[in-house]
Amino acid sequence: MRVLVIHAHPDPESYSRSILLAVLEGLAHAGHETTVIDLYGLDYPGGPTRDEWRAYETESPVLDSMVAEHVELVRSAEALIFVYPTWWSTMPAIMKSWLERTMVMGLAFTLDERTRLVRPGLGHVRHLVGISTYGSPRWYVKLVNDNGRRTVTRTLRLSTGGKARTAWLPLYSLDGQSAQGRRAFLNRVRVAMEKLS
Amino acid sequence: MKFLVVHAHPDPESFNHELMRRVVRGLHAADHDVRVRDLYAEAFDPRLSLSEKRNHIASPDTKPHLAEYFEELRWCEVLVFVHPTWWGAQPAVLKGWIDRVWACGVAWELPEGAKRLKPTLHHVRRIATFTTHGSPWRINALQGVPGKRTVNRSLRIICHPLCRTRWVAMYRMDSSTPERRERFLRRAERVASRL
Repeated sequence: MRVLVIHAHPDPESYSRSILLAVLEGLAHAGHETTVIDLYGLDYPGGPTRDEWRAYETESPVLDSMVAEHVELVRSAEALIFVYPTWWSTMPAIMKSWLERTMVMGLAFTLDERTRLVRPGLGHVRHLVGISTYGSPRWYVKLVNDNGRRTVTRTLRLSTGGKARTAWLPLYSLDGQSAQGRRAFLNRVRVAMEKLS
Repeated sequence: MKFLVVHAHPDPESFNHELMRRVVRGLHAADHDVRVRDLYAEAFDPRLSLSEKRNHIASPDTKPHLAEYFEELRWCEVLVFVHPTWWGAQPAVLKGWIDRVWACGVAWELPEGAKRLKPTLHHVRRIATFTTHGSPWRINALQGVPGKRTVNRSLRIICHPLCRTRWVAMYRMDSSTPERRERFLRRAERVASRL
């Protein structure tokens, strides 16, 4: 299966990077064809520009070669895996920027001419997976609505026509985790990736 | 009262930019002290940097390049957001303003030995959002309303314990008529003048 992994963390020595490596090990073990988009590593820009916004709902919404490449990667992916730390209950700005610039009309959705309603375009995506670390404990994350999780497992899932299977792997209270707790989570991630099919 | 308006839309000729102008006009009409942050106009970089991440729990002095933003967040009593809703949530540029400006020593502290952070934006008594959605209300409901809850829950908890929130949204932008858009602008201005 073709898998696209999107990662966002400014620190190449972060725990989030270890999670990314665990994801890749698990996927390689299961024999999947994997591509990684490391947003900070790519110096990915923040937010669509005026011209991109104006082109967004047109026949040719892609103005940038890196975005064009990512659009093709999403088009051929059967699984999208998001790896990021949760900040202020949702994804880092750089990852939101990637969604805004990549998930354009003609890829993520089409607009019905008559009703002006959005039709799903990601029907080929069978799996949506999110893996995130949180500074806060689980009860607090639930209290503030776990908004990043909802963006991945609900908002994006609507664009698959409600067909994709979703999985969410959270590690709460990161700062309070022992070395053992962190290792156990990496194992959990690796196993989950090996089982993805 | 002191109002900080934070706006994010890439096109100064957009409906959303007009919405921001009308909200600001409403605030001025009520004689408030208003500051406007137009994040796209100043090419605000929303990406939290490596050094900011490594100084996550350090004093704001470690981020002197953000001092101006810190100062106005400490200054305001009411926060007003004006933005389109994209993929159920705030534009990345606005999310980045939150990621970078709601920093340690400004929005919260982590006292020695404490397990949980302590909110320090008690001077913010009200948060109001004016936003537009391409889709109908029910789609937003299916999405789990992530944008609204990010502000009205995750940010609000850091503010005054009795901080009130207001959410003023226009849905179905993709199929809207000029009349409906104008009605929404008038409503937004009226709400802003009464905040």
